[in-house]
Amino acid sequence: MNIERVVNGTALTVAVSGRLDTVTAPELETSLGDSLKGITDLTFDFAELEYISSAGLRVLLSTQKIMNSQGSMKIIHANEAIKDIFEVTGFVDIMTIE
Amino acid sequence: MSNVMNSIAVSITLSGRIDSNNAAETEKGILAQLEGHKNAAVILDASALEYISSAGLRVILRVKKSYPDLTIKGVSPEVYEILDMTGFTEMMTVEKAYRVVSVEGCEEIGRGANGTIYRIDQDNVVKVYNNADALEDIQHEREVAKLALILGIPTAISYDVVRVGESYGSVFELLNAKAFSNILAKEPEKMDWCVQEYVELLKKIHSTLVPAGKLPDMKETALSWAAFMQDYLPEEASRKLLALVQAVPHDDHMIHGDYHTKNVMLQNDEVLLIDMDTLAVGHPVFELASMYNSFVGYSEVYHDTILGFQGFDYETGRAFWRKSLSAYLGTSNEKKIQEVADKARVIGYTRMIRRSIRRKGLETAEGRAEIEYWKSELLALLEHVDTLLFSRNEIEVEADIQNLPEVQAFVETHLENVECPPKAQMQIGLAVEEIFVNIANYAYTPGRGNAIIRVEVSEEPVAVTITFLDHGIPYDPLAKTDPDVSLSAQERDIGGLGIFLAKKTMDDISYEYKNGQNILTLKKQL
Repeated sequence: MNIERVVNGTALTVAVSGRLDTVTAPELETSLGDSLKGITDLTFDFAELEYISSAGLRVLLSTQKIMNSQGSMKIIHANEAIKDIFEVTGFVDIMTIE
Repeated sequence: MSNVMNSIAVSITLSGRIDSNNAAETEKGILAQLEGHKNAAVILDASALEYISSAGLRVILRVKKSYPDLTIKGVSPEVYEILDMTGFTEMMTVEKAYRVVSVEGCEEIGRGANGTIYRIDQDNVVKVYNNADALEDIQHEREVAKLALILGIPTAISYDVVRVGESYGSVFELLNAKAFSNILAKEPEKMDWCVQEYVELLKKIHSTLVPAGKLPDMKETALSWAAFMQDYLPEEASRKLLALVQAVPHDDHMIHGDYHTKNVMLQNDEVLLIDMDTLAVGHPVFELASMYNSFVGYSEVYHDTILGFQGFDYETGRAFWRKSLSAYLGTSNEKKIQEVADKARVIGYTRMIRRSIRRKGLETAEGRAEIEYWKSELLALLEHVDTLLFSRNEIEVEADIQNLPEVQAFVETHLENVECPPKAQMQIGLAVEEIFVNIANYAYTPGRGNAIIRVEVSEEPVAVTITFLDHGIPYDPLAKTDPDVSLSAQERDIGGLGIFLAKKTMDDISYEYKNGQNILTLKKQL
């Protein structure tokens, strides 16, 4: 997994590539930890994300909870297989997925 | 130099009763026989000794003081009890007398490389060794059987060594047991059941790690077979054969070495492995080679051979071999099965040719015909077999999250052989991760342990079955209630999604606790 962060004022784009699983999810969580301070627009760019497991979904859900209180969050460029996972878990109803 | 050893052994017979009446006299007699043999090894033959009192024991102690290398042999059960109670069995080597057993008229229930097994009464069987001087073999088999039992392989351990005519035998308790060969011969409709049980035990053997140095390395043996062939094969073929065996990596997993259906017994409801003297470590291709020989190879020219050996016919042997190999590899793909069979046959023919030549097979027309046939098959195989390695359908790893990538990679290689759409691949990956992480986090906490992951791919319909086995605490991850996925982000619990996803995306997911193992099975049609 690789994480790239681009900050533009109070907007943050996080591009995650590779596999977001039990082994790598804690890394994403740590990386997000401090950088969410003062952010009002968070975008996850999943164009290069190949795989997401429940550990990754947990990070997304906890991040969504944080962003609900300070701004907005959206997920872009997720592939079909990942979108399907968002569908089954009901994430499509509680997150903005483009 | 003072450390020159005198290798003389003096044997002295003790007879009747030794007590305070004759102890002094006995001592005098013993010392007289030992005179002039300083440093001799002393063997006290107690075959005719009926009783020994403490006065007699003191005599032995005094003799031992002057002659530390002292053995008492042929000890009757009564005398042994005295020696055991007084701690003599720990101070010196005490060998019990051998009980004499006759196998006349007894049913033959098994036959292995080194001996034949007879039922001597309802509860007991005796394995009579071919080699008349078999005490070392018996000791070896006892030790490896103990090792196997400790490592979790169901087997019988002999509790007594007996004399059978001029040979030695070891006695085992084996109640109501029958060999799988008997079942196949008498109840052919149970073929599939036999295959399943036979292969399950085979996999268990092959997933058992043996501490280094405890068992011989089968690769070394196979190398010696290949070297033997140098005089009987064209140079190029012989070189290739040797290179093929050399390229097999060292493997510390157990192999039985003579795994055929006379050596697998059903005792009540338990499947037992017997005839443990060929136990070794090595790559499973060596095991498959000996299986091929037992069921097909030895009978390939003269089809009746197997009838005398296993009690069923050649067609049954062939069918059993193919079905077992298919189940072992976890595939019904004929091409893949044949590929692995060919690798096994390379070693199988090598072994049979060597064996036959050493048994003067070249001196008879029948023997020559057989050797010629095996040789032509071997040469044809050496034309196209380029490695003896093959991928098995299961791996065993420590249940640790760090091993997740290895598990995922293993599952993916098996999915590569079939058309697996990316969506299904992702779903399978998710389910595999969830189950493995569950085992890693909970099965052995706070200790450590292993998990076995098995992948089976079937055709028509194309489906994949993934089984997880662990020996941890019984735990059914499916029993957890599903999360409510209609709740808002704020109301939602962060965890619990994984198992839910696995349930939603797999066609079937089931759990059972059996034989001390958690068994979780995922099924997905592709």
